[in-house]
Amino acid sequence: MKPEESKEECQAYFGLPPKVVYCKKCVESNQRMLGSVQHKDTPTTKKRTVLFDDEGVCLACRYYEKKKMIDWEERERELRDLLNRHRRKDGYYDVLVPGSGGKDSAYVAHMLKYKYGMNPLTVTWAPHIYTEIGWKNFQAWIHTGFDNVLFTPNGKVHRKLTGLAFENLLHPFQPFVIGQYNLAPKIALEKGIKLIFFGDSYAERGFGGDVKWDGPCMDPKLFTREQKDEIFLGGVPIKDLSQYGINMKELNPYLPAEADRLLSSGIEFHVMPYYMNYDPQKNFYYAIEHTGFSVNPDGRTPGTYSKYASLDDKVDDFHYYTWFIKTGRGRCTEDASIEIRNNHITREEGVSLVRRFDGEFPERHFKDFLEYIGITKEKFWDIIDRYRSPHLWEKIHGEWKLKFRVS
Amino acid sequence: MKSVAIIDYGLGNIFSVKHACEYCGMKALVTNAPRDIQNASAIILPGVGAFGKALADLKAFDLEGVLIEEIKKGKPFIGICLGMQLLMTQSHEFGQHKGLDIITGSVLPLREKFGTAQNLKVPHIGWNAIFSEEKHDRWGNTLLSGIPQGTSMYFVHSFYCAPENNELVLSRTEYGGFRFATAIQSDNVYGFQFHPERSGASGIAIYQNLSKMISRGGAS
Amino acid sequence: MRLIPRLDIKGSNLVKGIHLEGLRVLGKPENFARYYYEAGADELIYIDAVASLYERNSLIHIVERTSREIFIPLTVGGGLRTLQDIKAILRAGADKVSLNTAAVRDPQLICEASRAFGSSTIVISMEVIKRKDGTYECFTDNGRIPTGLEAVAWAKKVAELGAGEILLTAVDREGTGKGYDIELIRSVSESVSIPVIAAGGAGTVDHVLEAIVDGKADAVAMSSILHYQCIKVAKQDANEFTEGNVNFIQSGEGYSKVDTVELSDLRTFLVNRGISSAR
Repeated sequence: MKPEESKEECQAYFGLPPKVVYCKKCVESNQRMLGSVQHKDTPTTKKRTVLFDDEGVCLACRYYEKKKMIDWEERERELRDLLNRHRRKDGYYDVLVPGSGGKDSAYVAHMLKYKYGMNPLTVTWAPHIYTEIGWKNFQAWIHTGFDNVLFTPNGKVHRKLTGLAFENLLHPFQPFVIGQYNLAPKIALEKGIKLIFFGDSYAERGFGGDVKWDGPCMDPKLFTREQKDEIFLGGVPIKDLSQYGINMKELNPYLPAEADRLLSSGIEFHVMPYYMNYDPQKNFYYAIEHTGFSVNPDGRTPGTYSKYASLDDKVDDFHYYTWFIKTGRGRCTEDASIEIRNNHITREEGVSLVRRFDGEFPERHFKDFLEYIGITKEKFWDIIDRYRSPHLWEKIHGEWKLKFRVS
Repeated sequence: MKSVAIIDYGLGNIFSVKHACEYCGMKALVTNAPRDIQNASAIILPGVGAFGKALADLKAFDLEGVLIEEIKKGKPFIGICLGMQLLMTQSHEFGQHKGLDIITGSVLPLREKFGTAQNLKVPHIGWNAIFSEEKHDRWGNTLLSGIPQGTSMYFVHSFYCAPENNELVLSRTEYGGFRFATAIQSDNVYGFQFHPERSGASGIAIYQNLSKMISRGGAS
Repeated sequence: MRLIPRLDIKGSNLVKGIHLEGLRVLGKPENFARYYYEAGADELIYIDAVASLYERNSLIHIVERTSREIFIPLTVGGGLRTLQDIKAILRAGADKVSLNTAAVRDPQLICEASRAFGSSTIVISMEVIKRKDGTYECFTDNGRIPTGLEAVAWAKKVAELGAGEILLTAVDREGTGKGYDIELIRSVSESVSIPVIAAGGAGTVDHVLEAIVDGKADAVAMSSILHYQCIKVAKQDANEFTEGNVNFIQSGEGYSKVDTVELSDLRTFLVNRGISSAR
């Protein structure tokens, strides 16, 4: 930091890199946060971000380049071997597929059952606020032929946690993420299912970092805990949640499985993208053709150009919007980057899309969201503005503008 | 190589006409220069749009005189769609307009021929059969030579031509129970209500006939 | 009765989405165009699938090439915004132009364009989605952005302003093979005196018949049901395609939602059921 520059100007919140750099191949920036262990997040946690190499290319793009060398036939053989090991002859469930009937989980469940002869149990953590199209797709998925366990958390608690997560972390989706991640292993433990298959993985979404993400399995660390007091929900240590009227007894759905129980169970967490090249567009076509999937009836999803992105939860809009506030890039950046890496669109087209749609305010569910977490519009914007890092945002003529945009 | 002048006065699908001519081995010049028109072996007047505007545009390019003169010289002349309508004496489209008056008659709206009960759509868009009402082979020795009766051609128009002299009518077509002239000929002057360059192989046959005609060196 | 193959184009490729979404490459538009011309198509429609999305026009060269060898009417749409854009595409060889986004933003353009180029040259494309309450709303940008315009009301307006034809696409049916939206087609066709081309949803030959007889369509446009047949028959070198979403064409798979059909067989089917075919 140069001494003559004011401290405020250079300050970058959340431990983000102070200088904004865009990938030369896709449209991501170096501000993109990596996935973290959710139940350890506090307001002061410094985030790790995606790494760029010396040529200015992000590791996610490099990962995709590496993928071109993959022998997918070999991977399929590995998949078959894995499934052969797990496939049960007694008719009981042999694989757990978490999801909501969106294109990715639809693809995985359908493939496992109808192509590979497995007997999947699908597992769903309810959305904060249902959308009609989300429910429709969820039902259509089940009616394609899957047993499903739907877990709906205590609504009162869920809302409070969402409100806390929004205020303390600007991450309203956290209760969903924690719940969803922890549900699958706990159900698997409960039901004696030894294999869990996820439809997407951190690596595919560009989380390149120092933890090795490109293997077939996910790190069980994400799903476990050792001591209860190391758990934070909504950025608050769980023992302090009583201040907000949340009893410890009411937190079971959010607690990860105990480490020793999970690690000794032999449950394996696999990611389909390791075995089959992850391509959201391909999953979309597949889901429409085979699982009764329908697109957004209102045209495109706010903040992006696609019609099939995250359709099931009204809070999801705010998940991406808050991302945008914290990092200066939103859903469109992510969607476009994946399509660029899969060669469906060029970088130029990606730039054009991001400049047009990224960060669009999701007006459609605003009222519902405010009501859900019980705050006013004014408080909402107050909180949002607190998270605008000076290294990304500036106020021009009374309006907040991003200092940098991809080009 | 003999050339065809395709009149460019700002309207019409001149490039499909050009492509059709070239496909049939003719050299085609899209032009509004009097010299090119005078040097050409044949002239095509295309046209899509409103009669009044087309005439105004022709006048603006000072082409009326040149065209009439070349016609008098006996040069093969083809008016396509609106180009055919421009050959008539007058049109009743959006008021009354005078045409080139090469062929006596009027241009009238199709819509008035159908009662509202018919629910027929105007413009008349699509493929429809052309046929001659004469007993003898009216088409031999004309640009329609070799084309079977009842062949379909592509139409897109809201007005039709009503020439006073029935002998000049080469073909008629029926739409909504109403029959009207769709190809006319007066010596070296032809008018086609349909678009030969958009009527597939059947339409291209007309261009082939034109090609033969000009290499023979005349309109007969 | 006009049967019109509709080709959605991105860059140099023919793409086929579902609900006008997705960029699955099926092949080169020129190959499909030639195939359909030889099979007796009445007209062709070319839509630039991403022109409005990226705010650019790029069909000029494909149009030029097509109009040199294919002598049936060609309607071109996608991203045409001004009179100059229209003029350029007509000069490239298009016979008609299709407008949507630009017409919604500035309806006067319809008036100006039909005066300048002739009513019959101007086709208004309507991308319609059926809402929860049963009404039909028009969208722009390949069914991405709602306009608040009700379908029949907009259709009447564009006809008044001078449109020559309407290309009516049911976005929620498009690419699904579930059949045309008959109610939508009929309500629009009966409300205007200009021809209406029905599009979106053909999965079987019966659907096409329905659109004509029950929907009162004046012409029918089709994509999936023809394109997925064409790729079976006209072998293309899958390795030729490097750009775009080429997974599908390289996989050699089919699309189960439509009963694909040859254009000539479709025509025979319709003729046998009393639908006249001039061609």
